Amino acid sequence: MATLHAKHYADAISHLDAPLLLNEQVAENTYLMRVRAPAIAATAKPGQFVMIRLAGLDAPLIGRAFAIYDVHPDPESNAADSVDLIYLRKGALTRPLSEAPVGTMVSLWGPLGNAFRDDPCERLIMAVGGIGQTPMLMAGRDALQRGWADHVEMIYGARRSSLLAGVSDFRDAGFAVTTCTDDGSEGRQALVPDVLAERIQTLQQESPDAKIRVLTCGPEIMMEKVAEVGAAQGVDVQVSMETPMACGIGICFSCVAKVIQEDGEWDYKRTCVDGPIFDAEQLCWG
Amino acid sequence: MPVIPDVTAPTLQTTLGRLTLPNPIMVASGTFGYAREMQSIVDLNRLGGILPKTITAEPRIGNAPWRTVETSAGLLNAIGLDNDGVDAFIEHHLPYLTSLTAPIVVSVAGRTVEDFTELAARVGACPGVAAIELNLSCPNVSGGVDFGTNAESCRSVVASARNATSVPILAKLTPNVTSIADIARGAADGGADAVCLTNTVLGIAVDWRKRRAILGNGMGGLSGPAIKPIALRCVHQVRRAVEIPIIGIGGIASLDDVMQFLVTGASAVQIGTANYYDPTLSMRLIDQLPAALGELGAGSVAEIVGTLE
Ligand SMILES: Cc1cc2nc3c(=O)[nH]c(=O)nc-3n(C[C@H](O)[C@H](O)[C@H](O)COP(=O)(O)OP(=O)(O)OC[C@H]3O[C@@H](n4cnc5c(N)ncnc54)[C@H](O)[C@@H]3O)c2cc1C
Ligand SMILES: Cc1cc2nc3c(=O)[nH]c(=O)nc-3n(C[C@H](O)[C@H](O)[C@H](O)COP(=O)(O)O)c2cc1C
Ligand code: FES
Repeated sequence: MATLHAKHYADAISHLDAPLLLNEQVAENTYLMRVRAPAIAATAKPGQFVMIRLAGLDAPLIGRAFAIYDVHPDPESNAADSVDLIYLRKGALTRPLSEAPVGTMVSLWGPLGNAFRDDPCERLIMAVGGIGQTPMLMAGRDALQRGWADHVEMIYGARRSSLLAGVSDFRDAGFAVTTCTDDGSEGRQALVPDVLAERIQTLQQESPDAKIRVLTCGPEIMMEKVAEVGAAQGVDVQVSMETPMACGIGICFSCVAKVIQEDGEWDYKRTCVDGPIFDAEQLCWG
Repeated sequence: MPVIPDVTAPTLQTTLGRLTLPNPIMVASGTFGYAREMQSIVDLNRLGGILPKTITAEPRIGNAPWRTVETSAGLLNAIGLDNDGVDAFIEHHLPYLTSLTAPIVVSVAGRTVEDFTELAARVGACPGVAAIELNLSCPNVSGGVDFGTNAESCRSVVASARNATSVPILAKLTPNVTSIADIARGAADGGADAVCLTNTVLGIAVDWRKRRAILGNGMGGLSGPAIKPIALRCVHQVRRAVEIPIIGIGGIASLDDVMQFLVTGASAVQIGTANYYDPTLSMRLIDQLPAALGELGAGSVAEIVGTLE
């Protein structure tokens, strides 16, 4: 029987008004903001997200979801202190946000959603496109630090070179990054799923027994293709879904995705509490 | 001259027919999940009342996305009463809800008088349920009789549900009618303990480039600050038409909003859409309410209800 009963209930959400400590352009149309939110920084897990609004303003009214890009300790006390988010300047929230000076107060709540599963593997490949690189810094670093993956690679696609954001952070964290662009302005002129398929094939030829896992985030059409590649080549894929959200906490039932249940039938599940991370084979695409 | 607040804190307890609430700040159905989602940021036991999402007899899959879209100072939604049905609710959610000390008001919806009556009997028989709210107003469920748009259908469904259970019955009405006062009279004649005003206002949002409605369902219900004057007007009109208490709902986002509803005639309020974008609002309102009552020199909520000149 279908059930909306969530497996996961957030037990450590904080809701606070907090100042922007940093808000700077890092690539074309792309910004990094740092928010002082110790309670969120202390418990954030790779793959989780926060909801954000401009504090005290009613336009836009509804919060927007952003994947947690990174967390930082306070330099003096070393206690968890701030959260970094990377956002694309797009519409009602991100346009005014991109112009907000340091010190502007935002209202945010989180950390929200489940997290990437830390299943052990030899090779972790993160296949990302668009603004989908944002949850991967924490995920890949966690894999290397806690040792659940021996090697971390990233295949990162964008329309053009100027839109790539965070590549140096990923390299500094020890990931082998392959970039690809639609116009060939940087890296390979190829699509992420095609590069992934080749890479998996190479790895499987080199060492047939090595366990490979894939994490993906980006445009839905890309993630669907990545899921197909994983299925065809026998590799587990975890997908970070970005459905339209209104609350991020599980109380509005806006953010549903078709998820296959134990009985083999699909049911609408809330991405914000049952996800945003799903196993690719659980999802009903399209 | 400013009124000097009384040193003794005003009592927040409020009574609606057979239902007594510890304070008038409730959370609205469909805007607070099954409450458990909020356990880490809201002290659920402090709430005046909790309304979990409306349940139906059978599971409902709900509407295809998009299910919500933001509009000017509001949110348009067509969730389609996505729920797992009464059995799953009683098994999975009610034990947690009734373990809380806040009053639990279970919202139910059906297509026929029999549906509502059976649900009221089922839910009313569960220990710990403080009241039942009949959702007579969901714009997203087509095919059934629209009990909220006809005074006589409203009266008969309320009367039948009332006969089926000993717990208080609240009738939640739609503003999408010619005369909300007439419908409220029907609910009062049927024996409702209170009327809840209101559900969402029917609307549509359009993507002109694609020449398509944005919501998967086409039309949806508008909520949030944009509808507050409409809901307040409904409270105002119904207050003059019926004796039974009123619960105000619609666009409440601040203590000023709460006070406006109380003074206009609501004995309690439900916070809806604001839970989504200001999830700890309900706690702040409970904290702030005594001072505002004090400012009017009131020792209780009842003293200011319906005092609009
Ligand atoms: C779990 C999650 C994580 C996210 N992480 C990031 C992130 O790390 N960085 C980032 O830049 N953005 C992220 N987003 C997207 C972000 O929440 C906003 O949707 C985006 O910033 C646009 O908001 P806006 O107010 O600027 O534009 P709006 O004015 O809200 O929208 C601009 C356009 O985008 C469309 N749109 C809005 N939301 C969605 C959606 N979810 N899916 C498809 N179309 C949509 C609107 O219909 C509109 O046409 C994430 C979303 C989710 C659900
Ligand atoms: C996404 C969403 C879902 C809702 N679901 C329900 C529901 O299941 N049952 C119900 O009686 N009202 C439902 N409502 C209506 C609210 O309870 C409330 O009456 C309405 O939103 C007006 O109040 P607000 O402006 O404070 O949100 C829903 C509202 C929204 C926005
Ligand atoms: S965004 Fe509200 S339930 Fe997921």
